[in-house]
Amino acid sequence: MLTTRQRLLLLTPLGLVLAPFLFWPAGFGLAASFTNYGPLQPDPHWVGLGNYATILGNQQFRAAALNSAAFTLVTVAAELAIGLALAYLLREPFAGRGLVQVALLLPWLVSPIANGVLWHFLFDQRTGLYSFLPALLGHAPLPSPLGLSGLAMPVLMAVDVWRMAPLATFLLAPGLAAIPPERWEQARLDGLSPFNRLRHVVLPSLAPLLATVALLLIGDSLGAFDTVLILTGGGPGTQTLTPGLFSYQQAFQVNNWPAGATSAWLIMAAMGVVGAIYVLALHGRDGRRRDA
Amino acid sequence: MTHRATHLVRVALLGLAVLASLLPLAWTALASFRVLPDNTQAPPSWTPPQLDNYTGEIGIAEPTFVQELVTTATLSLATTLLTLALSFLAAYALARSRFRGRSLLVQGCLIAACLPVMAYIIPLSESLRLAHLEDTYLGLLLAQTAVLAPLAVYVLHGYLAQLSIEMEEAAFLEGASLGQVLAAMVLPLAAPGLAATGLILFVLNWNQFLVPLVLTTSQVKTLPVAMSDFFTFERELEWPTAAAALIVSLLPLAVLVTLAHRLLERFTLAPNSET
Repeated sequence: MLTTRQRLLLLTPLGLVLAPFLFWPAGFGLAASFTNYGPLQPDPHWVGLGNYATILGNQQFRAAALNSAAFTLVTVAAELAIGLALAYLLREPFAGRGLVQVALLLPWLVSPIANGVLWHFLFDQRTGLYSFLPALLGHAPLPSPLGLSGLAMPVLMAVDVWRMAPLATFLLAPGLAAIPPERWEQARLDGLSPFNRLRHVVLPSLAPLLATVALLLIGDSLGAFDTVLILTGGGPGTQTLTPGLFSYQQAFQVNNWPAGATSAWLIMAAMGVVGAIYVLALHGRDGRRRDA
Repeated sequence: MTHRATHLVRVALLGLAVLASLLPLAWTALASFRVLPDNTQAPPSWTPPQLDNYTGEIGIAEPTFVQELVTTATLSLATTLLTLALSFLAAYALARSRFRGRSLLVQGCLIAACLPVMAYIIPLSESLRLAHLEDTYLGLLLAQTAVLAPLAVYVLHGYLAQLSIEMEEAAFLEGASLGQVLAAMVLPLAAPGLAATGLILFVLNWNQFLVPLVLTTSQVKTLPVAMSDFFTFERELEWPTAAAALIVSLLPLAVLVTLAHRLLERFTLAPNSET
């Protein structure tokens, strides 16, 4: 174990960067969400929960929050399912596995902004990939679904899954590889169906990693804004508006910093709830293990 | 199912996944050479390839593109190294201490890594202004380090907590200094994990958008900011030009990941679940 002096020596360098560039701005940002502080506000004063009441009553924000709940639920579930399935398929070595793994990680390397630009053009009616196949079969080219009511949100979800499922695969693969081969062999001898293998072999040892990956994906989906900004700008109407994009628009497009900051802290509050559940679940698991 | 049938299903599913990953990118690569279909014709006609997006005198998509590429690469590298160095020391301190709430602190790092930058970006720009660091490389370097450090501490703690501490304890008893133990014993064992983490941090840095967008105005410009600029300000942006910019900004990461894929297999979030 280290002495207190050594511990301080090790923690100070990071502390010197985090204090002014993370802790202070975050603390100040949180406190400022209870005031009318902003870059253009010469004389900020306390407004209590006023900002939160305004935002929670805002029709646009409410629409965005509902969108975000659906978006997060669907994308995270799909990303975990696809990620787990692909990691499972990649479990046993085969010739060229390394290259396949790289190919399957490539979409994650595209930045969220570039992902928006990319799919904007892939959905283009005249030159895009999306309407190419119908055109090949002799049908009229399809208009971009991004402007169509009812379709824009599912398409946005699909675009997010395209970029993030590769990360889920990448993060889950080592967990699957760590399961001892004897357990797979036992499951095979017992004649377990794929579903029962998932339940009795994979989930018991993979659960903590699955929870960690889910937490990261939920954080990413709750904060989603850059791809949406490029792809739909929140439209049609408010169908694809997310709290992240709402916050960005308030803070940087209409210069209403209190509204922007407050809605960002509401995202953080949602993240905090998810984080608390995660910590409690992990703690409960460890507790049970210790008792056993 | 027989063994052979299982094998075929596996190949088919993986083939489908690779196709889904690569087809949109291949389409973009073709478009960057101006190879485009015309879907209004049946069957669609294709335009012949041209190189002008890559050889044109104005640069790729805009005159300053190469400058932005260099800026992004330099900043990503510097931020990755600084984040790794600071987080390694802090993660080691956490991994070799026992106090109440330590596990909570480690898990807290993971939750802090999910904090939306939007929640504090304006006070952060205020911090930089007070330090006379707005619109500078150093300012962006420090700000991005602060964004990524919590994730790095969490991941590196996972690696360091796994290492056996008996050798380190013995070395301390024989009078070795903290620096000696770190350099001669901990660093060599943690090196693959550090390198793999560094690669992930590099990608995250390269693609970061909101921090450089708000903290810079004209002196320093990174690729995602440039890409959103020419998309938002010039709605009419030509697709082949954007495609070329996209391919060139993706290529360095793709090459890096391909070269280092063995190393990347060492990246794991798992060990922390045992703390």
